[in-house]
Amino acid sequence: MIKDVSIGRYYRGDSILHRLDPRIKVILFTVYMVAVFMLTKPVGMLLSFIVVTALALLSKIPLREIIKSIRPIVFLMIFIFVINVLTIREGQTIAKFWIIEITDGGILRAVLMTLRLFLLIVSTSILLTLTTTPLKMADALESLFGPLKKIRVPVHEMAMMMSIALRFIPTLVEETDKIMKAQASRGAEYDTGNVLVRARGYVSILVPLFVSSFKRAEDLAVAMDARCYRGGEGRTKLHPLEMKPSDLVWFFILLALAFLPLLTEWIFAPK
Amino acid sequence: MSQDIDNPIKIPDTNEAVRGADIRFSYTRQDATPVQALTGVSLMIPKGGYVVLIGRNGSGKSTLAKLINVLEVPDEGTLAVLGLDTMSEENFWYIRSHCGMVFQNPDNQIVGTSVEEDVAFGPENLGIPTPEIRRRVDDALEYVGLPGLADRMPSSLSGGQKQKLAIAGVLAMMPQVLILDESTAMLDPISRNEFLDLVERLRLEKGITVIHITHDMSEAYRAGHVFVLEKGRIVMEGSPSDVFIRHEQMTKLGLDVPVFAGVVLELCRQLGISPRKEYLESRDAALDSVRSIFGSLTAGQTSLVKSEKPAEPKIEADLRDIVLQVKNLSYSYEERSPMTLMDISFSVKRGEVYSVIGHSGSGKTTLISHLNGLIRPQKGEVELLDPKSGTVWNTRKNADVKEMRRRIGLLFQYPEYQLFEETVRKDILFGPLKMGMDKEAAEKSLMDAIRLVGLDESYLDRSPFELSGGQKRRVAFAGVIAMDPEILVLDEPAAGLDPVGRRDVFRYIRELKNLGKTIILVSHNMDEAARISDRLLVLSEGRAICEASPDELFSSREKVMDIGLDLPESVKFLWELAPDFPGLDLSVYDVEQVAAELIRAAGGLSAVQDKHLAGETDAKGSRRGGRDD
Repeated sequence: MIKDVSIGRYYRGDSILHRLDPRIKVILFTVYMVAVFMLTKPVGMLLSFIVVTALALLSKIPLREIIKSIRPIVFLMIFIFVINVLTIREGQTIAKFWIIEITDGGILRAVLMTLRLFLLIVSTSILLTLTTTPLKMADALESLFGPLKKIRVPVHEMAMMMSIALRFIPTLVEETDKIMKAQASRGAEYDTGNVLVRARGYVSILVPLFVSSFKRAEDLAVAMDARCYRGGEGRTKLHPLEMKPSDLVWFFILLALAFLPLLTEWIFAPK
Repeated sequence: MSQDIDNPIKIPDTNEAVRGADIRFSYTRQDATPVQALTGVSLMIPKGGYVVLIGRNGSGKSTLAKLINVLEVPDEGTLAVLGLDTMSEENFWYIRSHCGMVFQNPDNQIVGTSVEEDVAFGPENLGIPTPEIRRRVDDALEYVGLPGLADRMPSSLSGGQKQKLAIAGVLAMMPQVLILDESTAMLDPISRNEFLDLVERLRLEKGITVIHITHDMSEAYRAGHVFVLEKGRIVMEGSPSDVFIRHEQMTKLGLDVPVFAGVVLELCRQLGISPRKEYLESRDAALDSVRSIFGSLTAGQTSLVKSEKPAEPKIEADLRDIVLQVKNLSYSYEERSPMTLMDISFSVKRGEVYSVIGHSGSGKTTLISHLNGLIRPQKGEVELLDPKSGTVWNTRKNADVKEMRRRIGLLFQYPEYQLFEETVRKDILFGPLKMGMDKEAAEKSLMDAIRLVGLDESYLDRSPFELSGGQKRRVAFAGVIAMDPEILVLDEPAAGLDPVGRRDVFRYIRELKNLGKTIILVSHNMDEAARISDRLLVLSEGRAICEASPDELFSSREKVMDIGLDLPESVKFLWELAPDFPGLDLSVYDVEQVAAELIRAAGGLSAVQDKHLAGETDAKGSRRGGRDD
């Protein structure tokens, strides 16, 4: 019924972006995201598009993997494009019928909005989800938010929770499938009947799922205890995050690339 | 035993891994009276030893394991692990980091998102430097036989691999004591043996003390020493033969003896001789003891007796009796992935117990999911037939599936997870009402069902979640039986239960069969399947490689060897004796029957008793002679 749900869509590979310290990737992504939102000019967008293309080439991820990541938002992109075209009235009118008026300014804005969304999604995929394992993401966030430990934010615990959640998603998916089959064998219905019948069908899945998850949590807590877990203090790592000099070099190169499109905002600014 | 708190811990030089004296422990729950888990346990386990703890569910075995690993501390009494008192605060870290535990459910003890991350979890907690962790992780994976899987997601491993991963995780912490808390309960026989061989290797090569909790009595023979627990105390201990020779007491405790020991004990009972401890020292000793009991008999005398066993009624493909038919069923989960099921055809007749046998991964669960339309066939057909009216339902038709689900009750492995209602009554009624039974009929069906599984009415208004594991299993069972299906499909119905629980399950199955139900049993336990089934279907890597009655299957040695089948323990035992007992019928599966068959093949009870008494004096004489050397 429900199978192959994969968390994150890490694409195994060996590229500069794969090897780059995940903390750098998180920072770069943040910078890039802000930059894309600040762009208003077509030239900047175009430059930004080129930068993303360069990143894609750098990541050595096949085009079809990147396209896969856009697929879920194609509808949203079309929707945004159409709404913008129909509602924004700037510049010359190109076509007009009934109450609809299409302008060249509107089309330009629509293209920019859509492109912005497109760039955001693609850059997230390339910089984060496709080239970084979820575990490294958790490590990066733990490290970046590390200073918050001083004000007693349980950063380590949150990262541990995130990583355990990632570990258990496939297990829970399997479990849900198993419970659904068992209850369907007893006559439960999820996709036929009225709302009440269906809701009842879902109760018969959710209750066992919760009960077993609590049991799992209890077991896991004991198992972690037995393996001497006592929080983040004094803990070492198999894969510690290490900033290499080359990481820093790449950081500045990519940072520059992220800012490059922004420059056009001032260069082409109306004087 | 108390230590000065200010001193850093000194590691005592001792040969004892565990020493406990009068340990008492109770669990306190906020809303209930404390539950006495241990009521005075004293024990000693030597370093490098292998001990087994057996006992019914709730006898305190797991609690004892937790106390040894300082996950809990005793309320009263003393417990020292590796010579260190578990009660003093400063010792607990040392003890815990030197005792590893592997638990029952493989899924609930894996922390890491990848195999190597999980192995590293323990050493990371101990604060071991990165290069050293790397080395330990690689060594541990290599040792348990999982190299090359370091980057895999743990959820993609098989059950046996997951338990090996758990061992690797413990191994990377360089333990001195390894505690297995029913770690083999969820594994199939092949993975179980691999796992236990690995544990034995750890003990021999690394000198790790093994404390093994199990329900499987034959596993006890891997240990040098067995502790039997009952109601929080140790009621018996000694070598496996010390314990199993007292089989009457074991039975009273709700425990069992391994099949080969059972055969020898039963043989002695039927012959009216008292069993000796050395008969039970090992499986080979048991075989030898059978040979020596019948010692002076010659082959010539035995071959005169003809088998009295009635010939098995021939199974004919009478179409009028067929209730379920699977035709050329093939299935694969993904388009290009290997086939999970390949061209499987079989038919099940009314009133029979039809067993599907295979190791995990052979496609059993996928196959049974087809039977009531949970999975629709990609190729082939699944049909339910009503022999009386001649109606045929097919899982390809949506309209038929509902009717098929009503007529075919399906119970998956560990069915207790499917309980969800507030009361046992409501939960059992869920299925029958969903299937359109009227209230009155459903009530009646409910009462019949709980009677069958041995629960009384007082359970009906309790919450299913406050019941014990075994009771939950009964409720889940009752929930399907109450639907009054014609065919019951049971996937490993006895998995994870203690011996009494297992016996109970097979008792219900017999009763259901007597009520005229057709049973399709899925199992990897050959002994039980052989005992109860009319016919067996052997599944291997998605193919049906053999279909036969147990007698047909196990009477031909070549056939079984050909398909590489795991044999019932009783059959294996008889096979080894076959050269000494010409005319032996190999297709008996109950210890009583096996013993009776041996006597029959040896010329009947009186003949054997006479010969045995005559041979007794010789045997004694020669044995004494041997000991003096």
